[in-house]
Amino acid sequence: MGDDYPTLFRSEQMSLMQFLIPTEVAHDTVAELGELGNVQFKDLNPAVNPFQRSFVGEIRRTEEMARRVRFFESQIQKEKDVVPIRPLYDSAPLVTVGPSAAHNIDELDVTLAEHETRLVQMNDSYKTLSERTRELVEARHVLRETAVFFEKAETQQTDIRTSFDDSSAPLLQHDDREQQYLSTVQFDLEFVAGTIDRTRISTFERVLWRVLRGNLYMNHTDITEPFVDPATGTETRKNVFIIFAHGDALLAKIRKVAESMGATLYPIDANADKRSDSLREVTARLEDLESVLYNTGVNRRSELLRIGENLARWQDVVRKEKAIYETMNLFNYDVRRKTLVAEGWVPTRDLVMIHMALRHATEESGTSVVPILQELDTNKTPPTFTRTNKFTEGFQTIMDAYGIATYQEVNPGLFAIVTFPFLFAVMFGDIGHGLIIFFAALYMIFQEKKWARQELDEILGQFFYGRYIILLMGVFSVYTGLMYNDIFSKSLHIWHSGWDFPEPESNGVSYAVSNGHMYPFGVDPAWHGADNGLVFTNSYKMKMSIVLGVIHMTFALCLQLPNHIKFKRPLDIYANFIPQMIFLQSIFGYLVVCILYKWSIDWSTRDTEPPSLLNMLIAMILSPGKVDATAQLYPGQGFIQVVLLLLAMVCVPWMLCMKPYFQWKEMQTIQGQGYVGVGHRNGGPRESTDEALEIEEEGNGRLIAEEMEEEHEHHDFSEVVIHQIIHTIEFCLGCISHTASYLRLWALSLAHAQLSEVLWSMTIEKFLGLSGIFGTIALVMVVVFWFSATVFILCIMEGLSAFLHALRLHWVEANSKHYQGEGYLFTPLSFAKLDEKE
Amino acid sequence: MASVIPVIFILAIVLGLMACGYLFVPKGPHQTTIRTAIMLTLASCYLMWMITYMAQLHPLITPYRSTKGGESL
Repeated sequence: MGDDYPTLFRSEQMSLMQFLIPTEVAHDTVAELGELGNVQFKDLNPAVNPFQRSFVGEIRRTEEMARRVRFFESQIQKEKDVVPIRPLYDSAPLVTVGPSAAHNIDELDVTLAEHETRLVQMNDSYKTLSERTRELVEARHVLRETAVFFEKAETQQTDIRTSFDDSSAPLLQHDDREQQYLSTVQFDLEFVAGTIDRTRISTFERVLWRVLRGNLYMNHTDITEPFVDPATGTETRKNVFIIFAHGDALLAKIRKVAESMGATLYPIDANADKRSDSLREVTARLEDLESVLYNTGVNRRSELLRIGENLARWQDVVRKEKAIYETMNLFNYDVRRKTLVAEGWVPTRDLVMIHMALRHATEESGTSVVPILQELDTNKTPPTFTRTNKFTEGFQTIMDAYGIATYQEVNPGLFAIVTFPFLFAVMFGDIGHGLIIFFAALYMIFQEKKWARQELDEILGQFFYGRYIILLMGVFSVYTGLMYNDIFSKSLHIWHSGWDFPEPESNGVSYAVSNGHMYPFGVDPAWHGADNGLVFTNSYKMKMSIVLGVIHMTFALCLQLPNHIKFKRPLDIYANFIPQMIFLQSIFGYLVVCILYKWSIDWSTRDTEPPSLLNMLIAMILSPGKVDATAQLYPGQGFIQVVLLLLAMVCVPWMLCMKPYFQWKEMQTIQGQGYVGVGHRNGGPRESTDEALEIEEEGNGRLIAEEMEEEHEHHDFSEVVIHQIIHTIEFCLGCISHTASYLRLWALSLAHAQLSEVLWSMTIEKFLGLSGIFGTIALVMVVVFWFSATVFILCIMEGLSAFLHALRLHWVEANSKHYQGEGYLFTPLSFAKLDEKE
Repeated sequence: MASVIPVIFILAIVLGLMACGYLFVPKGPHQTTIRTAIMLTLASCYLMWMITYMAQLHPLITPYRSTKGGESL
């Protein structure tokens, strides 16, 4: 099909191309092909360890650069004030191809290394400075609080002795000063001062009490501000303590206990003047430190801002370079021709583009040697590539999620563009809800360009990806809403109704009378609000589900035909398609015909009662040929039903036996011929691709081995029989179960309609009658509640549910009739797609 | 009044529209997609209308209400 244009009907034709690329041009060529995004390279060195491949060195370098870029990214993200990263579409590109490429990459490497060292340095010094600030703040607190204690202690009468504390805190260099004042200052008791975690203070006290047997005087106060750890951000609350004790041994014990409990000791001088000196000194140093800290912070931020300007560019370059070198590792170096050899799958249509890209790459790089492209013949299965645009992409993706289509089989995604929203709408039918989702989708489509650039979060991203699906779902829902005559659980009364309601009779019931009109488009509004409205709607919707279901399945079954014709499998047409079709139609097609026929008869003019179709079908199978004259649908029914039943029964052995029999006959003829020779079986020579580089003799040997394997498969006749048995049973049972499965179309639309009605009657209806200002306000509030419940429960929740069921109908009921789904996806080297992967 | 004739009449119209859709979509990369979409839409919408119409042609039950008048817009 489609010689002029590829279509969605089948996946595109692919060719296996061999590229002969001179080594100088290799990098630029791969870069160009990556931008194009049309070639899927094969791995020509599958046996080689990743560490032994040719371009490991370059990859290592790019990995290092990538690590640095990731480090920058994490640093930027940790900043509380957002550092703007200049988006990629706004940055000037870094030239990575051409003669200046190597120089640019080297420069980039150096720049990244420089930035990293600077940033790491700044981080370290910031950390150190913060710690020192913290210690100084603690010291300041200790000095302040201990001043209070000392004032109290100075009222004591006993001797004052000097204290010599060794500085446990390295910052306060009081040693020299203390030596000076040693002889002059007298103090009462020796003491130990410091800070400790608030949670540990009581334990500390108790331990000290026990260790020193009460020979101590301890005082402590809270420090009001908590200390924030700069690395982790946790807050700790500390207390200042001062312990007075007598004697070196006791002091030593106190110090040991303090250190074991995690307290920090600070040397405090006994002299008040010296304490105020220390306080001033500490405050001054604190100010200095804070200004240094501030400057470091400012420098760091300006560094990060500079990095932010270029970060997106660097990420892009590093990613591309890594991809290029990884791809180049897949190539094989041909010693004879002294070039790199690459093989890749290319859509046949795009060959011209590839040629042009290669030429462009050569021009860019400045050399004059153009890479050579030649096509290889192969019997390997090509990947499946379906060219989609932004509209068809969503539909193709949801069908691909079930399984990738086999190379060039009929693509169900094409039909899903209409059948999926339609089946969704059958389950969702409501004009109002349909309009809501239609406008939501329309909004997303208008915001397309802007949103495509942003990083949307997972859920919104999913909805955005399916915006065209949702658009069509909305349109079809409005149509089915018109059919069901349902807008927010109310009915529209556009045309003349076919029923008139007279005055109610004695029991308060009003029976409608037909007035000859026929409501032309949709369900008559008279049924809305009728007591037996559900009886009618259920019957109508159930029969509709069966009719739509059988037609959908027949359509899917017919999709087998193009596949059999294209892949030249005429046996499958006679052995699979025809019996399947006859089986499906003779029972379920007949049911559909009966439904339509029963609807088309005016039963008031007939003598017989309208028969129940369900009983009719059951009787057809359980007691064929016997049709009660009073319950017949049409004369001659018994005979016709027997014929149909026999047809169906004949199809089962037909499906079971025909194909295995013919395959067995084929195998007999091949065995009779014997192994005539290489290549004769399929006619014509063929070149196995892996051997294109090796010497001819070896290639032939491989060929024979491959052939023998294929023969062995066929010899397993039991496999064929089993496969066909499974296929037959699956189809026949599937027919029945899938037909019943389509009843979910009825079930979900019933649930939706009922939910909608309940929501209205429980909310707005109750508030409609209220009057006055209070009533109006209440009504407005209830309307808001009703609308949000409509959007969240009825549109989103029910919508997702109907989406899922419609998808299941496509995947299981429809696809099982024709889909093989054994292909693999075409994953070209594409720089644009690298973005999406991250 | 209610007869099967409108069903057949509309079927003829829809088939005509489908033929137009098949013939008059311009050649281009999206011809198959547009054609398939138009034809499937016409077919499925007709099917649904046809089923709804035929279900109400000769109804086997008549609606009744026990309260006076129903709610309808």
